[in-house]
Amino acid sequence: MNIRKNSEAERLSFWEKLYLPEIAKGMGITFRQMFKPKFTRQYPEEVWIPTGSYRGRPVLVNEDDGERCVACGLCSRVCPALAIEVQAAETDRDKERYPEKFEINMLRCIYCGFCEEVCPEEAIVMSKDYDLVFTSQEEAILGKDKLLVHISKLQDRLEFLRQYK
Amino acid sequence: MPHIYIDDKLIEAQQNKTIIEVAFENGIDIPHFCWHPELTVAGNCRMCLVEVGMPKKLPNGAISVDSSGKPEISYFPKLQIACATTVAEGMYVRTKSEAAINAQEAVMEFLLINHPLDCPICDEAGQCKLQEYAFNHSKGMSRFIETKNHKPKRQSWGPNVLFDAERCISCSRCIRFAKEIAKQDVLTFVQRGDHVTIELFENKEFDSPYSMNVIEICPVGALTSKDFRFKSRVWDMSFNDSICPGCAKGCNTKLGVRNNEILRIEPRANPYVNKFWMCDYGRLTQYEFVNNNRITDPYIKVDGNHKKVGLDEACSEAANRLKQFNPHQIMFVGSAKATNEDNYILAKFAKHLNTKNLDCLKYIDENFQDNFLRCADKAPNTNGALQVGIKPDLHSVRIEQLSEKIATGDIKAILVMEETFEEYTEIFKNLSELKLLVVLGYNHSNLTSIADIILPASTYAEIEGTFVNTDLRVQHFTPAVVTSENLRFMGMKMSRLDKFGAFNDRWTQHQVRNSRQSWKIIQKIANRLNANWSFRNSHDVFLEITHNIASFKGMNYELLDEFQGLTLGKAEKPDPKVRNYESHYMKPN
Amino acid sequence: MDIIWILLEALIKAVVILNLILLFAAALGVWAERKVSAWIQNRIGPNRVGPFGLLQPFADVFKLFMKEDLIPKAADKTFHRIAPIITLGIAISVYAVIPFADDVKIGDKIYQMGIAPDLNIGILFVLALTSVGVYGITLAGWSSNNKYSLLGGLRSSAQMISYELSMGLALVGVLMIAGSLSLNEIVSKQDVIWRWNVIFQPLGFILFLVSSFAETNRTPFDLPEAEPELVGGYNTEYSGMKFGMFFLAEYANMATSSAIIVLLYFGGWQLPFPADWLGLQQGSIALAVAQFINFMLKIAILVFFFIWVRWTVPRFRYDQLMNLGWKVLLPLALLNVLLTAVGIWLLK
Ligand code: SF4
Ligand code: SF4
Ligand code: SF4
Ligand code: SF4
Ligand code: FES
Repeated sequence: MNIRKNSEAERLSFWEKLYLPEIAKGMGITFRQMFKPKFTRQYPEEVWIPTGSYRGRPVLVNEDDGERCVACGLCSRVCPALAIEVQAAETDRDKERYPEKFEINMLRCIYCGFCEEVCPEEAIVMSKDYDLVFTSQEEAILGKDKLLVHISKLQDRLEFLRQYK
Repeated sequence: MPHIYIDDKLIEAQQNKTIIEVAFENGIDIPHFCWHPELTVAGNCRMCLVEVGMPKKLPNGAISVDSSGKPEISYFPKLQIACATTVAEGMYVRTKSEAAINAQEAVMEFLLINHPLDCPICDEAGQCKLQEYAFNHSKGMSRFIETKNHKPKRQSWGPNVLFDAERCISCSRCIRFAKEIAKQDVLTFVQRGDHVTIELFENKEFDSPYSMNVIEICPVGALTSKDFRFKSRVWDMSFNDSICPGCAKGCNTKLGVRNNEILRIEPRANPYVNKFWMCDYGRLTQYEFVNNNRITDPYIKVDGNHKKVGLDEACSEAANRLKQFNPHQIMFVGSAKATNEDNYILAKFAKHLNTKNLDCLKYIDENFQDNFLRCADKAPNTNGALQVGIKPDLHSVRIEQLSEKIATGDIKAILVMEETFEEYTEIFKNLSELKLLVVLGYNHSNLTSIADIILPASTYAEIEGTFVNTDLRVQHFTPAVVTSENLRFMGMKMSRLDKFGAFNDRWTQHQVRNSRQSWKIIQKIANRLNANWSFRNSHDVFLEITHNIASFKGMNYELLDEFQGLTLGKAEKPDPKVRNYESHYMKPN
Repeated sequence: MDIIWILLEALIKAVVILNLILLFAAALGVWAERKVSAWIQNRIGPNRVGPFGLLQPFADVFKLFMKEDLIPKAADKTFHRIAPIITLGIAISVYAVIPFADDVKIGDKIYQMGIAPDLNIGILFVLALTSVGVYGITLAGWSSNNKYSLLGGLRSSAQMISYELSMGLALVGVLMIAGSLSLNEIVSKQDVIWRWNVIFQPLGFILFLVSSFAETNRTPFDLPEAEPELVGGYNTEYSGMKFGMFFLAEYANMATSSAIIVLLYFGGWQLPFPADWLGLQQGSIALAVAQFINFMLKIAILVFFFIWVRWTVPRFRYDQLMNLGWKVLLPLALLNVLLTAVGIWLLK
């Protein structure tokens, strides 16, 4: 095979080889782009509200009579980033156990959603929260106080899970 | 001796053994729930169904063969339970044939009909035989759509055991254990069909000193420990082999550790010591002192207050002050709780300093003894301490005289290894009159509060060493809990969370204690008094013990591990190795 | 007495022009760069600091001032410090000879609009200074003691030397037409749009333009700081305001090049039509203002062009760059000189 045949010089026509006309064409394109509508979203003013399929910060589902979680530790086991720590304790309710301590280290979490997928109680789901700001490493470890979210605020996600999980 | 074929493998079996036993000994596992090698055969779970057959006989007595020359087998139309069928000459067994597998799947489906979906809240999950079989021997789905049968949960059977009737699969292992091993016949089945459950006899409690063993033998999570309840998931713990230091029996154990704390202690099978069992006392008491109230740093008493110092400084201080006494004014207190290695080095140190005052405390409690596992000597290594030289001679001060000798001023300095004198108040009273009291200890105690120098000793769970049990069996064990000394050695033996934790994870806020194995501390002191020892690890020390002490001759750690312990003086004649039965456990362990 | 006045005058002009360059050339340049790139990419660009984000460059500079100033341990400290000063200093000094408008007569005194616009070797001065500018970059690369910086510095010097040649030769055509090296003179020859040099020197113009891109290290010739290969190029080891100086120098250079191009090919400060169409008198202040605005507008358009090209054309490969410089631009520049000479000879 004649490898020279495929060299750049062989493929280009005279005008293309001149560079300048092609550059001018390219500049025409970019010039036209300048007047096209913009895609930028003015973020803090214009907030984006994700759909149910969005995987934001994982939260615990809180029902009227308390959290669903039974502290089985499966989410902690499956979490590839080892972000979750669960400590179980006994409760008088029927389900016998509840998480005495449930902490997610948001600096470790990679929002993979495995915890949600593995949970046998549908007790941990991915929320729509995406703007997480911390000023220290300790603050990034969310305890039950920050994790428990009432079920009424998680309807979109639960509906999504019902359909597609 | 009958010859049988299990799954086409020719096996020479012993007379009168059952199929399941023969298979087990030859490395073939037949699924089962109710069979247990130490219990009588109940044959009620039907999980072990196998196809059993005999070769077809021609009228002339010869065995009929098919066209390829193989004998033709006529299998019994009904499957047999492997746990109750004794082997017979020429028997053929199929454990993985279609019929056997169908039977296993049917049994599993049947067992799971009323089994609750409790795995998330069940302490057994992760090491559950039912889960394991549901995964390996089951269809993976249920055809049962009716409501499940509910039974009472959280029933107390005694001080240590909790019963969940729903999860019980009625294998009767617990009933047989109570009757045959614990000798406390208080359990029985009541009701029938799917309402069957277990009840205690009226006004009875299952409070045998061995009651907690039913927790391990129960193939499911029907029986759980009150002490451990919900402390941790099994997969979050590391399980490392150890020896129970509760009494001189030296039951083999596994230590479940998470967050650098022992959360539970389980028996480990050793056919020559504890079979599959251990007593509740050992399980419930032998972790508290490892987890809590530990001495984590060396201290020196300055003007009546303890000042935290570095290990080198504390050892130098101890050496300098020991130097100021005549050898016969010094007494060394070894320990029946410490390993052979520690005691050996202590004895060696005494010899180096030319003092003959060397003894240890005894913990004899006749009330503790029974004719099963527990023995009167409540220290794990009294025999070992004596063997490696912790014994006074005719002219030296013995422990019984100590109190009086301190009072008369004959003994002015004491080095105490891993003892607290808690039960020896008589001696303790006089200890404060000493000129020098050096204590190597695990926990802060009354003794450490009056000590001049406190050195942090590692507990049995943190060191490598050997104990000699009441039957003179030398047993080797390795650490399960991390200290700054064994951190590297522990490496992958730590639990998952401990292994991968970083400084900003809360779960790893465990203490990595700065304690040392006693002999290492003593070597440090001795080297400051020109001993020039260079033992790097317990192997080195044990090697010297085997050279210098005749009864240990021929032993080393590898052999001790291989044979699960060797008897003193009989290193060349170890007990035969057998395959240890493990009903169900955390996998991979 | 006189000499003091002259010095004072020069000083005032210098301060005014310096501010002008730094504000316009650098600050506005940075802003324009970000805005134009945003538009080309269908974005909005900076819009938070000040109206239309106009104060963004000042926020940037403020940030750069706040940053820690790091000097690598192995670096040659002296040269590491001097390099950005050379680069920015040279970029600014070129303005000494640039005329911003026609001379203004106030009373009987004639004021020149520029520091020394009438310098008789003006264009040579410019060429000389831009060649010195390469020292800043080369020194930065060498003194950082970092392989990427060094490579960036070396590329830069090689590139500048190569393109300096074609640039100089492309100029010759203009000089032949003008018959002078003084910028003011070159400009005054192009008094209306049809007498702009770009008409007589199309080839020379293109050559000069391309070379200018190379001289200012702008895309498609920004090989000294080619991120994919060289991390940050010669300024990898710079931080804080020292980095800022390189950054500003780039924009100052861009403005300088635009100014030179305007002066040489687009009639400089000359309005595109005869001045009397506006009814303004030669030498009046009003005319000077009109000329000044006109000049700035032309520069702004060229700066926009620079930016526009940067966000359109991808970077050359190093061998392509050298090929283009030596095998294409240089012969063409020679050809241009020849053609111009022939043209002038024929027209005579
Ligand atoms: S998997 Fe679900 S139920 Fe289990 S601990 Fe996590 S959140 Fe709780
Ligand atoms: S989303 Fe993924 S990484 Fe985050 S906590 Fe859940 S399992 Fe862990
Ligand atoms: S006994 Fe086993 S199968 Fe049953 S709930 Fe407990 S872990 Fe699950
Ligand atoms: S409680 Fe456990 S050991 Fe006892 S019968 Fe039920 S399943 Fe078997
Ligand atoms: S193991 Fe044979 S019937 Fe249970």
